[in-house]
Amino acid sequence: MAKVGEQDANYIRRVIVMQRILEWSGRILLVLGFITPWLWLVGVLALATAKILDNMEIGHNVMHGQYDWMNDKHINSKAYEWDIACDGKSWNRVHNFEHHTYTNIIGKDRDFGYGLLRLSNDFRWRVKNLWQFITYLNLSVLFQWGVAYHELAAERVFFGKKKENRDYKVPHSELKTRFFSKGARQLIKDYLIFPLLAGPFFLWVLVGNLIANLLRNLWTSTIIFCGHFTGDVKTFSEKECENETKGQWYYRQALGSSNIKGSKWFHVLTGHLSFQIEHHLFPDMPAKRYREIAPKVQKVFREHGIQYNTGSFFKQYGSVVKRILRYSLP
Amino acid sequence: MNVLLNPLSNWFSKQFFHHTSMAGYIEPVIQLFKPSWRDGYYRAKVVVVQAIANRTLAIELKTESRWPTHKAGQHIELTLEINGRLVTRVFTIASSPNQAMHEGVIRLVVKQQDAGAFTPYLARLQVNSWVNISKPKGAFLLPQSGAVTFFAAGSGITPFIAMLHQNLHEQVDPIHLVYYAKANEHLVVAELESLSNRLANFTFTLLSRSSDGDVIEKLSEFHNSKWLVCGPNDFYKTIQNYAEAHQISISSEHFSLVNLHVHGDEKAHFQVDHGGIKFTADNQQPLLAQFQANKINVPYGCGMGICHQCQCVKKKGVVRDMRTGKLSDYGEELIQLCVSQVVSDVEFKA
Ligand code: FES
Repeated sequence: MAKVGEQDANYIRRVIVMQRILEWSGRILLVLGFITPWLWLVGVLALATAKILDNMEIGHNVMHGQYDWMNDKHINSKAYEWDIACDGKSWNRVHNFEHHTYTNIIGKDRDFGYGLLRLSNDFRWRVKNLWQFITYLNLSVLFQWGVAYHELAAERVFFGKKKENRDYKVPHSELKTRFFSKGARQLIKDYLIFPLLAGPFFLWVLVGNLIANLLRNLWTSTIIFCGHFTGDVKTFSEKECENETKGQWYYRQALGSSNIKGSKWFHVLTGHLSFQIEHHLFPDMPAKRYREIAPKVQKVFREHGIQYNTGSFFKQYGSVVKRILRYSLP
Repeated sequence: MNVLLNPLSNWFSKQFFHHTSMAGYIEPVIQLFKPSWRDGYYRAKVVVVQAIANRTLAIELKTESRWPTHKAGQHIELTLEINGRLVTRVFTIASSPNQAMHEGVIRLVVKQQDAGAFTPYLARLQVNSWVNISKPKGAFLLPQSGAVTFFAAGSGITPFIAMLHQNLHEQVDPIHLVYYAKANEHLVVAELESLSNRLANFTFTLLSRSSDGDVIEKLSEFHNSKWLVCGPNDFYKTIQNYAEAHQISISSEHFSLVNLHVHGDEKAHFQVDHGGIKFTADNQQPLLAQFQANKINVPYGCGMGICHQCQCVKKKGVVRDMRTGKLSDYGEELIQLCVSQVVSDVEFKA
């Protein structure tokens, strides 16, 4: 961490610049689609890439506090808000706190299966698990909404029995307002304002935005599943983790996640969540540094005989699919 | 640029780009063309960096044209990007508004701190590089009329230099300066001499405590004037108490070097101010626990420095990171309450 400094600050600013350029050239190309549909297609891809960068390398990492040390009022975990339907504050609570503190402890970390999928024997099998692969596909398509709804589902804001004596840190009314207002702003922006600005090319832009959002959803969902639900990822029970030491915490982080191998660009587009293991060990280290420390982490794992879960994208993805299918049966 | 800053575009930016201001949204892009262009700051270009005495620098900055000109005696916040991190310190402007108006240049006179986290970087500033400054602030100004005595100590001379230079253009009543510093460490003496040659109403005395005694012994000579004091805490306290007792009109600006308790073993107490709500905290427990003990509701999560839920904007003061033992900066920054202990009085944004 001592090395963190100017390089990292310049890096994140460069990524933001790239994001802005991609987003705006994408939006302009969508309208120019009337010249030739190819321009429209490039526009869709540019916009999707911009949205992925915003979501992963910028949003996720900045909101983790990885750049808080910069003291920049726009690039820090308190101020940053990302371009997806999920309210950043809500994500921060559930993800940064619950998921990263209680990684893979069944019952405490609601990221494990999102309450929708059965991914280990810790859950009783139900009939609905039979078609959970389809549920998974739906979740991927609507991933940003899934993330947005995550905290509300957990808090049982709309459905289900409210849990007794939970200490509600945020009133439900606020959760609701934030959920609806952020969601609405996203819908209005992508499916009303920008299409309207395009005048006669309303439909071109609308469909373009829809596809860009879809591509982003599929991408983030896939990366996240590959980081958390490959075949070898372990789960833990609340019992096991009572009074755990710092060392055991690290150990749990190590076994609870998996990496994906890939090129430099691949890593950037995943927000370096292809280094999910390192991310779980050091959530507030600027993510690009994971590339540097990964070999060291791997060495430590080897010395202690801990399995370092990594593989190519296809291998990891295959293993995720297998896991989802495997647990759809009792 | 002003178009970008208007409320409508900010509203738009908040709704659709999720940025509190349009300028914030495009800032990294603009920085490609205009280094150090930052939302909420002014830019200034370094024109002179010069050592004028032992460990003392004079720095001249060319301000951008929309910078509102200061009044003599005011200060600015100077922000540098040091190894990727924005660090801010306050300095009094030691040049006249007149010069700022006509040449667009302001001057700072800065005493370097050896182990400082900021001043050593000032010496390394490149000419033609860019820094950020705030608008001029402060109400430490020269009275409109009447005889005046300045009391300065150490680098507390800076606002008075600005006032004297401004005085070249606005003739007023007698001014006398009493300037304390260690023997032979008075700053800008040549400049004071030239000013007293040019200004008929200005005289000064250079004193040092070792040979001339404490400032309190000199005070009785100046009963018939208004007093302006600038210097360290103790210095100004002495003069202020005397002025109160003798009903003399006084205005002051003082810089207190924060009293740090760096060695954690010894228990000490400090004032914590959370947006106006004040309480005392010790340097042994994490701040989060002490906020809770005082029934101040702040968000938190893991309690171990991972989740950043307990993050808070510290405006002033120094805290220690319990994990690394590292001390924070003096100025505004984000800290995590659950892994921070106080080592000075601190102030938080509520
Ligand atoms: S409470 Fe989690 S970082 Fe402080």
